[in-house]
Amino acid sequence: MAETDARFVQPENFVNRELSWLEFDYRILEEARDKTIPLFERLKFLSITASNLDEFFMVRVASLKDMVHAGYTKPDMAGLKPDEQLVKIGEKTHELVALQYSTYTRSLVPALRQNGLRIVGRHEELTEAEGAWVDKYFQDNVYPVLTPMAVDSSRPFPLIYNKSLNIAALIRKKDGDGEIDFAMVRVPAVLPRIIEIPVSEERVVILLEEIIERHLSALFSNCDIIAAHPFRIMRNADLSIDEEEAEDLLKEIEKLLKRRQWGEAIRLEIEDNTDKRILKRLKKELKLQNADIYQVNGPLDLTFLMKMYGLPDFEHLKVSPYHPQPNPAFMNDDDIFANIRKGDILLHHPYESFDPVVKFIQTAARDPEVLAIKQTLYRVSGNSPIVAALAAAADNGKQVSVLVELKARFDEENNINWAKMLEKAGCHVIYGLVGLKTHSKITLVVRREEDGIRRYVHLGTGNYNDSTAKLYTDCGLLTCHPQIGEDATAVFNMLSGYSEPLHWNHLVVAPIWLRKRFVRLIERETHHASTGRPARIIAKVNSLCDRDIIAKLYEASCAGVKIDLIVRGICGLRAGVPGLSENITVRSIVGNFLEHSRIFYFENNGMPEYYMGSADWMPRNLDRRVEIVFPILDVELQQKAMHILEVQLEDNLKAHVLQPDGSYVKVDRRGKMPLGAQDTFCGEAVAAARAVEARQDPVNTRVFVPVESPN
Amino acid sequence: MANHLFAAIDVGSFELEMGIYEISPKNGIRQIDHLRHVIALGRDTYHTGKISYRLVDEMCRVLGDFSKVMKGYKVEDYWACATSAMREAVNNQIILDQIEVRTGIKVQIISNSEQRFLSYKAIAMKAAEFEKIIQKGTAIADVGFGSTQLSLFDKDSLVTTQNIVPGVLKIRDTLSMIQANRIQENSIVEEIIDHELIKFKKLYLRDRDIKHLIGVGDTITILVRKAAESGASTTDRMTREQFNRVYDQLMSLSAAQIEEAFGINESFASILVPSAIIYNRILQMTGAEMVWTPGTRLCDGVVTEYAQNNRWLKFTHDFEEDMLAAARNMAKRYRCGNAHVLCVENMAARMFDAMKKYHGLAQRDRILLRIAAILYGCGKYVTMREFGECSYNIIMSTEIIGLSQSERELVANVVRHYADEYEYDEADIRTAKLTAMLRLAVALDTSYHQKLEGCRMGVRGDNLIISTEYQGDLSLEILSVNTNAGFFEEIFGIQPVVKQKRRV
Repeated sequence: MAETDARFVQPENFVNRELSWLEFDYRILEEARDKTIPLFERLKFLSITASNLDEFFMVRVASLKDMVHAGYTKPDMAGLKPDEQLVKIGEKTHELVALQYSTYTRSLVPALRQNGLRIVGRHEELTEAEGAWVDKYFQDNVYPVLTPMAVDSSRPFPLIYNKSLNIAALIRKKDGDGEIDFAMVRVPAVLPRIIEIPVSEERVVILLEEIIERHLSALFSNCDIIAAHPFRIMRNADLSIDEEEAEDLLKEIEKLLKRRQWGEAIRLEIEDNTDKRILKRLKKELKLQNADIYQVNGPLDLTFLMKMYGLPDFEHLKVSPYHPQPNPAFMNDDDIFANIRKGDILLHHPYESFDPVVKFIQTAARDPEVLAIKQTLYRVSGNSPIVAALAAAADNGKQVSVLVELKARFDEENNINWAKMLEKAGCHVIYGLVGLKTHSKITLVVRREEDGIRRYVHLGTGNYNDSTAKLYTDCGLLTCHPQIGEDATAVFNMLSGYSEPLHWNHLVVAPIWLRKRFVRLIERETHHASTGRPARIIAKVNSLCDRDIIAKLYEASCAGVKIDLIVRGICGLRAGVPGLSENITVRSIVGNFLEHSRIFYFENNGMPEYYMGSADWMPRNLDRRVEIVFPILDVELQQKAMHILEVQLEDNLKAHVLQPDGSYVKVDRRGKMPLGAQDTFCGEAVAAARAVEARQDPVNTRVFVPVESPN
Repeated sequence: MANHLFAAIDVGSFELEMGIYEISPKNGIRQIDHLRHVIALGRDTYHTGKISYRLVDEMCRVLGDFSKVMKGYKVEDYWACATSAMREAVNNQIILDQIEVRTGIKVQIISNSEQRFLSYKAIAMKAAEFEKIIQKGTAIADVGFGSTQLSLFDKDSLVTTQNIVPGVLKIRDTLSMIQANRIQENSIVEEIIDHELIKFKKLYLRDRDIKHLIGVGDTITILVRKAAESGASTTDRMTREQFNRVYDQLMSLSAAQIEEAFGINESFASILVPSAIIYNRILQMTGAEMVWTPGTRLCDGVVTEYAQNNRWLKFTHDFEEDMLAAARNMAKRYRCGNAHVLCVENMAARMFDAMKKYHGLAQRDRILLRIAAILYGCGKYVTMREFGECSYNIIMSTEIIGLSQSERELVANVVRHYADEYEYDEADIRTAKLTAMLRLAVALDTSYHQKLEGCRMGVRGDNLIISTEYQGDLSLEILSVNTNAGFFEEIFGIQPVVKQKRRV
């Protein structure tokens, strides 16, 4: 690896990852503010900004706080120390939250009202009839599950659960000495947050906390309620497991899950007109700084908007749902293995259906010639058909090995359940690797065939999760290329604890080989450019914040390599800066589907190489995870991959382009046909499937095909 | 199905290894899975003479996993063999038993010459390349963890093989006992090696011109791969100059830098230097210009052997010829390689074939008999009288590639019993049968004039008829045959008779 020029690694060339992440949340918020987007879709985007922010706080802000506590002062690649980062994050987040709420109250609520949906913001606004209905609802459904808690000298301040919604109140005993006590009630998570009030023609919804607030006096029956406000806190939830000591990873994570409830409070959300005494008390009890307090003008925890999106009868305000199309390669009567034998198949989800992947495993589980199935599972959906198929395969006497990654953030509980279930079914379950997170998505099916053992491999950029496969854009390769099969076997041997293979044919595996390979691929383009040959890099990733990779890209840009990056989220690189990155463009696409695929193109002097994989250009992906990047070898599939990249680069509806000053602006569309990448892919997938159907339609072919008795 | 699934397991000094192979007449041998687990059995053996229980435990766990993988693939058969670390461990029988009880896997300890023959077979499996390489003077260097093997080719058969200098694990451990800096260390390694190599050179390299070196083992593979990175050569060979470049680079790096530059782990990095020094000395000594690393491993040899034994595959290279060539070369060294010996070898082989129905021996015994015939007089180099014991000792202390320890002992015993009085209680019946045939074969050329060269042999009734058209005097041969006939008849119940066909 050649040394990188020192001028490329100066702190001013980089953007702090947290601040860049906040930029990403801004881009989503912009979608929520875009009046050309159907109203309910805007609700969804706003909800996403809120849930994103929650996760951001629980993980990123929390770990920065840990660093400050631990006295860690090493600056990041942009030269900011942890405490400096926290200050900047605080400023930017307060602005973001203000914009979230002005979007909600000034834009969305009135618009909903115009479209016949009234949100009762305060229970005082209820009509008499609505009030009566709400009272009954409270008595029947809410009251039985509430636990009011008063705080006085005999009762300590109650524990407040992470992310739970609570109502804080000041109460005074009716017959007492006038002393004011603090009281609290938790808004139960078991009840729906939004409740529709079916009393008139008009559609009306109210939030649960407003109903509870209306009836607080019923909870503290002999007290006067002086003030009451909902609030919500967020606690430190970063999981840092001491793996050396963890005898059994599984037990350790089970313990951590319980402990997560009790981390340090790092954020308080509360209404902006809150009684000062309540605020002061909470601040003291939770040991919060002013900067950690977010006073908002509207309901707390906007993630309820996702539920609102699900309200029936507003279909005209949503984008009509898209149905994933079959990939033409599977539109025949042959079994899945026969179809893979015809040639490699590239699936582009969610435009193309995820079914073949599920079917691949289901067929393998039943097929008598299949000897073994091996798979890595990162995030599995509830009732996953894949998990069921794996269990069935073990039942059918196949050798089934599954690596279940327990450290998938926030999904641990879910994963442990599946893992135990699989183990009971007779699968060999590996509960992750010590010190590494297994992020690769790979399935290997070993099948005994007429002409010998054949291996079928699925490699993906997204998780084996049939629900998210309808929402995330991902790519998957199905192949029986013998060399990829060999590599896949080697991957699973390594995951089972055996030594590395003597050599790899095609797969590139992190944490050992991937970084070096990327650096070499970029350096090769640099070399081509500096010797006057064509050189180009196109990369589509979710995040780009690896200092060395970015420095190599700067170096390549300076050598004249044309670099186009499609980076959905965090981007630590500065684009278009003279003398540094003039040849680099960065765009981010925020659409109805979450952009998730990772695709890499290197021109290589006219012999282009295409790669896809599970890894982003982040230090954690390259150094601390097991990731697999695989080449697309088939020329036709290379064209398909190129098409995906080209269409994304031409997007002028949903693409935001990074400016040299670090801001993102939408593409200037003047004089251009509007083009949305995701819509284009949807249309193409439908057309491709239709074309095959039309070709097979007996009316068109004018030939009837008799169905023979099967075998 | 015409495909066979087979597992080969190598319990090595540094690693446990299993290869799963598919053998089919159409595609030959194809490796479909390969598992390796690093476990330094050798360190225990070379230090304490024993393998500690902790390692045995780990070994059983990994072998148990291997067994599961074998079941997963539904393999038809497996061979598990153990090499130097297990061979030299005094408690090896206990360990073998432990392994079998705990994992169900039967591990067989193989001799050094068997082991080297297997890895040699694996190389020869890469037939096209191999046959091309050995057209020029070639040596094979197999720098292992336990020891190093140097083998030489004469034309296209392997003539000599010597187990020389200690292997890299042993060298590394020797070094750890000496306090020295890097440069001193390297020169110590050179001294240890040169000491052994000079003798080898004097004895075997005098009239040979070595152009090619075949390198076996992980370390040379790593060096070649490194050379390929910087140069344009292919990933399986390098020239002398390319080797020198990589060697100089390696020698200039610290241990940590080696890990980084060569992409290997720490334990491997520590043996890369001694092993590179060994290769460097071998290259200097032989003057080879090109190194070829076929990248084959012991497991590949095991499966080759298995496929060959089952006659599923044919090999272009004649391995029996290698064994015979090695024996002939040895005979030459002890001045017994002459026309007489060739004749005796021929007689013995013909007799073996003629007696097929009556001796009930395996095909493998034919080659043992031929080797015994070639070497029957080697002890005479030391002393003309009572040379049996000397022949026995010479054979027992010389490696003949391809022979297992027990086979070598068999050959040595046959040769001894040829010369000495037969002792009934000592030898088993297999030795006796071969001895009887060897004695008769030698008797047939008592005069050293190959008079019976063109004779025909066949069993008729109770007689082994040896008929010849030789017209001269055969009294000496006939006398000698009659002397030996008693023993022969005692063993086979068949009486040898020489018939001289008179021309009309």
